Amino acid sequence: MKNITRAVVIVLLAVACVHVPVAIAAAQPPKQAETYVPIDQLPPQDQLPAAPLLVGAYVFVPVVLFLYVLSVARRMTAVQREMERLEADIKRSGRT
Amino acid sequence: MPKWFMPACIVCAVMFAATPIVIANAPFESTMGLVFKIFFYHMPSAWMFLLSGVLCGIASVRYLASGDARHDRTAWAAAELAVVFGLLTLVTGPLWARKAWGTWWVWDVRVTSSLVSWMVAVAYLILRRYGGPGSDKLAAGLALFGAANVPFIYISVNYWRTIHPATSVVPTLPVDMGLPLWFCVVAFLLLFILLLKLRVRLEEQRSRLDTIYLSANH
Repeated sequence: MKNITRAVVIVLLAVACVHVPVAIAAAQPPKQAETYVPIDQLPPQDQLPAAPLLVGAYVFVPVVLFLYVLSVARRMTAVQREMERLEADIKRSGRT
Repeated sequence: MPKWFMPACIVCAVMFAATPIVIANAPFESTMGLVFKIFFYHMPSAWMFLLSGVLCGIASVRYLASGDARHDRTAWAAAELAVVFGLLTLVTGPLWARKAWGTWWVWDVRVTSSLVSWMVAVAYLILRRYGGPGSDKLAAGLALFGAANVPFIYISVNYWRTIHPATSVVPTLPVDMGLPLWFCVVAFLLLFILLLKLRVRLEEQRSRLDTIYLSANH
């Protein structure tokens, strides 16, 4: 239990080490605006339509989830086949 | 699999099929417009990501304390789900940010700590896959990193200067925006439970296979 407490303390210290520089970086103020730019004068890359981003997000999520379910199903099938093969081998070797 | 699994799968599939309709009927946010609707998938993914991290940490602590392999299997399953839901969070977030913030990525404390937590989950899986004997305990120690990071991720937006929305946004949502959000959260939570059950089942089968191998060799 003492070891676990020590491990938890070390983990918390390590997490703090990661977060302190990040917090310092995040505390920097954003670049100050020098001129006023109307929205219609923005460069084309900043006048992005929202639809492709929205569609991208709503396609990406189901695709990733489907691939993950497929991956788990394939792994389960492989384990099942291996079990059946092994059980058949044990039965066969028991007979001989 | 338990009796509730298949009905729960059907309910989950119906809920996910209904989410585009529910989200389409939600009102537009005043400044972000259409792109705000990514929020309805981004936030539930992020919550499931954090939940996976916490679950992996708790199961790992219990495994280290008791040595019970069931907790190890739960931790492994939760780590894999942390990678999946973390990936969804870290991809849908920048898609939203590109329009809302004008940039794909900012190295602010919320986004960076989420990335760190996702990398810890990936490291956990790599360790389990290639670590060899004893990697279960090492990985359990690593899982504490991920779990300890979760409170930092959650509260970071309230304590550090960041452009990421604060945690106070969700409680202040109007009902016609809040209901679709909670509908999506329930759908994602149900999916999380089903995937966790499925993944734990895979580990149980692998464990059974190991037992058969051992009994065959003796």
